[in-house]
Amino acid sequence: MKRQLNVMMFSWEFPPRVIGGISPHVFFLSKSLAKNGVKVHVVTCDFPGAPAHENIDGVEVYRVDSYKNPSPDFATWVYLMNLNMQKEAAAIAAKLPDKIDVFHAHDWLVADAGIGLKHVFRKPLLATMHSTEIGRRDGVHTITERMIHETEAWLTYEAWRVVCCSDYMVQHVKWAFGLPNDKLSMIPNGVNPQIYDGLEKQDMGAFRAKFALPQEKIVLYVGRLVYEKGIHIFINAIPKVVQKTDAKFIIVGSGYMQEQLSNIVKSMGLEHKVLFTGFVEEENLLKLQKIADVSVVPSLFEPFGIVALEAMAAKSPVVVSDTGGLSEIVDHDITGVKVYPNNADSLAWGIIKVLTDGAYRNRIRENAYKKIQEKYDWDKIAQQTRYMYETILGEYSKSFWA
Amino acid sequence: MIFTWEYPPRIVGKLAEHVSTLATHLVRNNVETHIITYHDSMTGTTEEPNGARVVRVTNPVRTHVSVLTWDLTLNEEVERAAANVFYQAAKRFILTDVHDWHFIPAAVTLKNALGIPFVYSVESLEDHRSPGANLPFNMAIRGIEWLGFYEAEKINAKSEWMQSEIIRVYKVPKEKITVVTPGTNSWVKKTLEVYHAAAGGADIQ
Repeated sequence: MKRQLNVMMFSWEFPPRVIGGISPHVFFLSKSLAKNGVKVHVVTCDFPGAPAHENIDGVEVYRVDSYKNPSPDFATWVYLMNLNMQKEAAAIAAKLPDKIDVFHAHDWLVADAGIGLKHVFRKPLLATMHSTEIGRRDGVHTITERMIHETEAWLTYEAWRVVCCSDYMVQHVKWAFGLPNDKLSMIPNGVNPQIYDGLEKQDMGAFRAKFALPQEKIVLYVGRLVYEKGIHIFINAIPKVVQKTDAKFIIVGSGYMQEQLSNIVKSMGLEHKVLFTGFVEEENLLKLQKIADVSVVPSLFEPFGIVALEAMAAKSPVVVSDTGGLSEIVDHDITGVKVYPNNADSLAWGIIKVLTDGAYRNRIRENAYKKIQEKYDWDKIAQQTRYMYETILGEYSKSFWA
Repeated sequence: MIFTWEYPPRIVGKLAEHVSTLATHLVRNNVETHIITYHDSMTGTTEEPNGARVVRVTNPVRTHVSVLTWDLTLNEEVERAAANVFYQAAKRFILTDVHDWHFIPAAVTLKNALGIPFVYSVESLEDHRSPGANLPFNMAIRGIEWLGFYEAEKINAKSEWMQSEIIRVYKVPKEKITVVTPGTNSWVKKTLEVYHAAAGGADIQ
């Protein structure tokens, strides 16, 4: 019998270290791959209290020293962290009884480690591009941004194949780095609706009362408070919504715009309607998504839009801006409401429509729940990823490296 | 396999000349010598008049915020070149000699991944280049130097003073460091002895 596929994955975040969307992505992808017969070794940054090595549902997780001396800046820290990650991953890979077949890097944050080990072990490298610097910043403006942009280009150059999570990102990455079509593949991000199952049976009344009055509908935003997420558009839509219906706006997450945004809310005289929660524990976040009458994703740039998918899995109706990956996830009037990006009037219209029409609300949330089970199931995504590994290895076996 | 960030015609300090002389002597002593170094335009492999093979690599990332990010990305190209030499030589390679801090990350990865031990030849220390400087930038470079001392099989110092400085700054055991002063009697013989010791039982003629 053919021996098991052996993959080493690099990610700068893995639970309990959660900073953005890569952490849950790698967590669910690696676990689902393990379920589908692939041996996965995840090498990631350390986290206070988390073990240096553990096995999570068949996935070997190694947490390496992430360079804790002060760094000149974030980007330099990334390269210094990669030095440690690569050094330790090299030792791990060399000691394994079976050789690694494929190295899989998630974003430029682990480009150095992935590229170096690809050459040293002469095995193919797969890169998943979750985002790009040029997209995040809407252009490349500073030396740091250019350095990151060029590192991303280098990673896609060195990769045997580049995976993106949406058709939008495939086109974006192709444009940003000048890649040929046959080097790019789309495998969507997944969501795990089971995590909300337990909440179905619980009485949420007491939990809800902590956040809103009984007559107030709950409008939820989950995400970093940064420009690209369009949170300022959401804030500007709030006064337009409260004119039409009674609602409470809950904003989960933190970011550099937080102080500025809460000042705007104050100047609007709407502090009693808007709650900034900051970072929220996973357990409470799931409950909030469950009780939300509408979840809003007002992004200006969104490679994928996992937060919309999570809301759909929690059976919360979604209002999203019609951009990037969000455009592909939501079908207007069927699985959610799409509004014009960067347009507070349009966003307010979408929120009011969902909040004031109960039958519509129920229809889109039922449709959305069906859609995520069909298309965004982690098992199916793991099978596609496994197929991708096998395709790469087939091509590799004909190369002079094999 | 020698890693150096300067080699003729790219001459920044004294290191380029020194490595070039060393390579000439090594070839004369029947040591198969590959030098991996940096050059922005003369990339590729050449056979030098002295008989050493030189691979020059450049940085695929053109824009950098500091020499530190430049160095850490360039190390991947050094690894690529070194791995090519290693696999083309049917994995016979037994030792890396890394000069100064720049390519220590690559030497450490090759050691961990492929079991190639390395000698760290010290030209200068960050403590002397930037005396008293304690910025995160200097700390990071000192960290890389420390990693080199920690992971190296053997250390070459060019003077007894440098040996004592390495011991003072990095608390390295004295017996790990050999003083080899270039140009003095039998410095090549001494270098070869260090290589022998570092490569363990491996056969170097």
